[in-house]
Amino acid sequence: MRIATDIGGTFTDLVYVNDKGEFGFAKAHTTPPHFEKGVINVIDQSGIDPKSIETFIHGSTVVINALTERKGVKTGLITTKGTRDLLEIARGNRPDLYNFRYQKPTPFVERYLRFEVEERLNYKGEVMTSLNEEQIKEALSFFKKEKVEAIAVSYLHSYVNPIHEQKTVELIQQLWPEVAVTASHEVTKEWREYERSSTTVFNSYVKPIAASYIDNLSIKLHEHSVNGNNYIMQSNGGTTTFEQAKQTPINMVESGPVAGIYGSAVLGEILGEENIIAFDIGGTTAKCSLISNGKVKITTDYYIEKSERTSGYPIKVPVVDIIEIGNGGGSIAWIDESGSLKVGPQSAGSTPGPVAYGKGGTEPTTTDANLVTGRLSKENFDYEVDLEKVKAAVDEKIAKPYDTTEEEAALGIIRIANSNMLNALKLISVRKGYDPSEFSLVAFGGGGAMHAPALAKELGVKKVIVPVASSVFSAWGMLMTDLRHDFIQTHIKRLKEVDLTSLNGEWEKLDSQAVSQFKEEGVEENRIMFSHLADMRYLGQEHTVKVPVPTGAWTRETLTEIIERFHHLHEQNYTFKLPDTPTEIVNLHVTAFGKVDKPVLQKLTATGRSLDAALKEKRNVYYEEEGWMETGIYSRDFLEPGMKVEGPAIVEERSSSTVLYPGQSLIVDDYGNLIVHTGVK
Amino acid sequence: MLSQTKSEINPFTIEIIKDSLMSIGDEMFYALARTSMSPIIYEVLDYACGLTNAKGKLISQGNGVASFIGMLSPMVESVLERYNDGKDLKDGDIIIINDPYVGGGSHLSDVGLVMPIFHKGELVAFSANKGHWTEVGGKDAGSFTTDSTEIYQEGLQLPGVKLFHEGNVNQAVVDIIESNVRFPDLSLGDMWAQVAALKTGAKRFIELCDKYGKDLVEASIEHLLDQGEQLARKELTKLPIGSFTAETYIEDNAGGPYKVQVKVTITDDAFICDFRGTHPQVSTPVNCSYYGLLASVRVMYLGVIRPTQNVNDGFFAPLKIITDERSIVSAERPAPVSMNFEGRICGAEAIWEALAPVTPDRLTAGHLMSVCSVVLTGNHQDSKDPFLIVEPSVGGWGAGQGMDGARGQFCMGPGETYNVPIEVAETRYGVMVDEYNFRCDGAGAGEYIGGSGVIRSYQALSDNQKLSVIFGRHKFAPWGMKDGESGSPNYVFIKKANGETDGPFGITARYPLNKGDVVQLVTATGGGYGNPYDRPAEKVAKDAKNGYITLEQAKETFGVMVHSETFEVQDLTFERKNRKSE
Repeated sequence: MRIATDIGGTFTDLVYVNDKGEFGFAKAHTTPPHFEKGVINVIDQSGIDPKSIETFIHGSTVVINALTERKGVKTGLITTKGTRDLLEIARGNRPDLYNFRYQKPTPFVERYLRFEVEERLNYKGEVMTSLNEEQIKEALSFFKKEKVEAIAVSYLHSYVNPIHEQKTVELIQQLWPEVAVTASHEVTKEWREYERSSTTVFNSYVKPIAASYIDNLSIKLHEHSVNGNNYIMQSNGGTTTFEQAKQTPINMVESGPVAGIYGSAVLGEILGEENIIAFDIGGTTAKCSLISNGKVKITTDYYIEKSERTSGYPIKVPVVDIIEIGNGGGSIAWIDESGSLKVGPQSAGSTPGPVAYGKGGTEPTTTDANLVTGRLSKENFDYEVDLEKVKAAVDEKIAKPYDTTEEEAALGIIRIANSNMLNALKLISVRKGYDPSEFSLVAFGGGGAMHAPALAKELGVKKVIVPVASSVFSAWGMLMTDLRHDFIQTHIKRLKEVDLTSLNGEWEKLDSQAVSQFKEEGVEENRIMFSHLADMRYLGQEHTVKVPVPTGAWTRETLTEIIERFHHLHEQNYTFKLPDTPTEIVNLHVTAFGKVDKPVLQKLTATGRSLDAALKEKRNVYYEEEGWMETGIYSRDFLEPGMKVEGPAIVEERSSSTVLYPGQSLIVDDYGNLIVHTGVK
Repeated sequence: MLSQTKSEINPFTIEIIKDSLMSIGDEMFYALARTSMSPIIYEVLDYACGLTNAKGKLISQGNGVASFIGMLSPMVESVLERYNDGKDLKDGDIIIINDPYVGGGSHLSDVGLVMPIFHKGELVAFSANKGHWTEVGGKDAGSFTTDSTEIYQEGLQLPGVKLFHEGNVNQAVVDIIESNVRFPDLSLGDMWAQVAALKTGAKRFIELCDKYGKDLVEASIEHLLDQGEQLARKELTKLPIGSFTAETYIEDNAGGPYKVQVKVTITDDAFICDFRGTHPQVSTPVNCSYYGLLASVRVMYLGVIRPTQNVNDGFFAPLKIITDERSIVSAERPAPVSMNFEGRICGAEAIWEALAPVTPDRLTAGHLMSVCSVVLTGNHQDSKDPFLIVEPSVGGWGAGQGMDGARGQFCMGPGETYNVPIEVAETRYGVMVDEYNFRCDGAGAGEYIGGSGVIRSYQALSDNQKLSVIFGRHKFAPWGMKDGESGSPNYVFIKKANGETDGPFGITARYPLNKGDVVQLVTATGGGYGNPYDRPAEKVAKDAKNGYITLEQAKETFGVMVHSETFEVQDLTFERKNRKSE
């Protein structure tokens, strides 16, 4: 038995698969601050025998919560002499251009806890000034006095040569073994000292929190007779062991959300679809990511708390490249001061929630609009829905100001929400040079299936896949993951002049780093798979393009091929190439997978039931072009492989609904997935 | 909510088109940043991209340097004027322009491209961008002259000629640029990136017209501009009515300081900035043209209006600017303008100083004011390749009502601009950054304290490097507000390898640096707000613990005695205790 548990804001989801390849799922309430309780509850609720669990995979928001709620520990920073204030100077930018009262994000380490020591490397990694160990000792005794619980060490050019950071960490561990410590090279080997320091500080700041969380969880699991292998979901779309997660908890900053993206890639592989747009709508946000040729994209260009008006904090760890916008089921519709209708990013959350919940919400949300237009029914809710109250809210807040009907206003909310989401979907596809007609869209999360068919049509996507149990698809994705580690090393070299021996040496170094890490985690060598990427650019440019490169040793021919590939990718992404301009490598990126045995998906058998058996009711649904239309409502539980549903129609399941427009249709495939044909030719 | 545009059009469709227009500006912006060849664009983001309607009115713009917000629409208007009201523009044309004295002009380094967008044969809009090129030729590397006397020394002038004619590149123009600039790869690389961004904008706009029809798109644009104007007028009514004046100075090496004076008159429906009486234009490059001033005044105006929406031309309807002819803030050919940002930001800051006392909820005490630009050239010690640093500096901002000043932030002119990381600088340039820390001088004391300036020290790693800087606000420190103390001035100081020192000074041209010489670039600490005695003692103790002030300053300036080891408050001074409350 393999199980995955994913802790969300409201629910803790569980999905399991047994040895026969049969899936099941359960949901329990999330139980802050003792999240492990919710995990045990959901295991109990699922009815599976804890002793049968061989693999336990876990996604958690503990790290992101500790960061956004400022619940980490008191952290000290040790930096190179002359750079004490680097964390606070940051990049000096002021994104809120016309706000002369702009305040920079407050650094996580106050100035008096930022300590300089004498040491210096040059840009080549050569030691210019040796490390002054006495000053480290002074720093430590000061930190002790100040009751610091974690230390971050970040020196200039340590991405080229970590020697001084390593020595510093050794000394700290010798003198003060209890304190949590992180050196910058342990979390990222990319250049740019502010971004690297920020990442290092965050890792230290959450390290004790993550460690006690993971320890508690493993004790609870053990008490509950769950004694299999335990893994944590990381932001890069792979898993790691509990032990490793305690060392670099910052790698789990986007632990949950990325699993659904990875799951989409896996589902695509099973269904023979290489090009996928993964699309997830939850209660407060919508997320999307593009998967090309079966590959999930990874980036280290990740920030928290960044917006158009504030610069946020960078975290340079590998994260699945996701665009997230504040548009979910609970997003509030409002009219701004210029009289424009907006949806989100403010969300009604789960309390008070949409007006429909009847828990005191007064502001109309996307969910309420879906109810007014008949896309959702009162029966879809756990709560008693007062439809008149919902209509009144839409009427009062939106319809009246625009002098229109309540259904037009509700549809307006849906259209604005869709427009926001469409912009996000375009951002990852057309605007990066991908043709949506060559992609299929996998829709999941509570609201994914409701909006996806309309959005896909607008975007020019022909096919939408609504997976089985789409509302817990992220947890499903976790079940299908491998262990994964990403190693990124800044290594700036012009391609034409590159010394192949030394470059191949660098690759080997990264590969063997992966091998030894996996060995520590008990993964056999024959289970390790590599993929290599090079971040490349034209000489003089700053931003790079990720180019897939061969995993073996490079030859002169490889170089020519890689340069060609780069030109092509640059043109695809940015509309032009510069064939005469020299190209440069900036980063070497090794992705290493520790492959695990995964369940084989079972095909369902059809009983020969008629479609009518699945028809629940007919109700009126309001569409953009046609207005009110009588629409068949089907229960997904009664659909079986081969059945075809013609739009307009709605397929309802627990926690989700698929809305088909007139002219659209869907077919149930052999695994029970809904395959929607959007009407795009 | 504001009055709606009544029409038969579905109001939600208009919103959707509006959103699409906004995202086009953003898309152009990011496309350009990611493909640029030069640090001044990709790291400093010293450029802007946007769309205007067929008359040149700005519809949407990607964020970048704040000052550019005011430049795109006048630039398009001047292109319209030059090409017979647009009648001589053809589908596929792209115009290149850097004339400082006409609409959208600043200095030669800011090169603008304008592309008319045609839909079914009709001119419907423009996509436009403007970027700071690392090089446009002229007498000094980086086209950055602190001692030019007329524009002809400052670089190549591109008076709004066709770079593309009906889709075909005008190779003659490209060849002229190539032979007139020092790093043609960088400049032309950026030019192609600009062209690509323009084409992206045009393509998206045409798609929008195809989808919704041209009429609906135009109606949405009108609606958008109307909304902007109404928002600005509404905000204007919240400002105090009256006339407010201030005097300030543009600093210079050769002469000066030159007086800038302004009278800001706020009425129910107008915001008038009258600069008459300001010093005449001078023969050093701190002049700005009227259009340079316009760009900075627009930023200042927006800082007062504080738009919560994306800015478009409608917002500027109430704004009027009056100047004398040929003044230092309305200079005409052939006045040198290479350092024009000193003049125009000073003009804008005069408005700031005039209005801050009456709008303390919107404006803070004085900030570093100057872009504090640094140009360093030389050869890399290892590769021997020539290198060129062109960068602004971060410094301190003033404190304000309820807030300490920001530490280490670019001045008002740049906005979404990024400093160059030490590791990047040391890899590319022949320098070592010995220090990049706050300047904790305790200046700008107040109930709320001014933000610290910054010290950035470059050690030359090869001989024959040349440094040009212009650090304005060198003679006059940023002003304090409501009894807050003034901050400290910007300066540059040289420590040579042989032990000699030079400075402090504010401006220099091609100062020679040899291996081992160190230049300290020190920026201003911002002005304080309120009486220092009103700063809570615990905060003063924390300031001392953090090293922003000394124990001595805690006692003398703030009247708080702080323990030298525990940093706990011990007592208040006699003066603080017995201060007569007002």
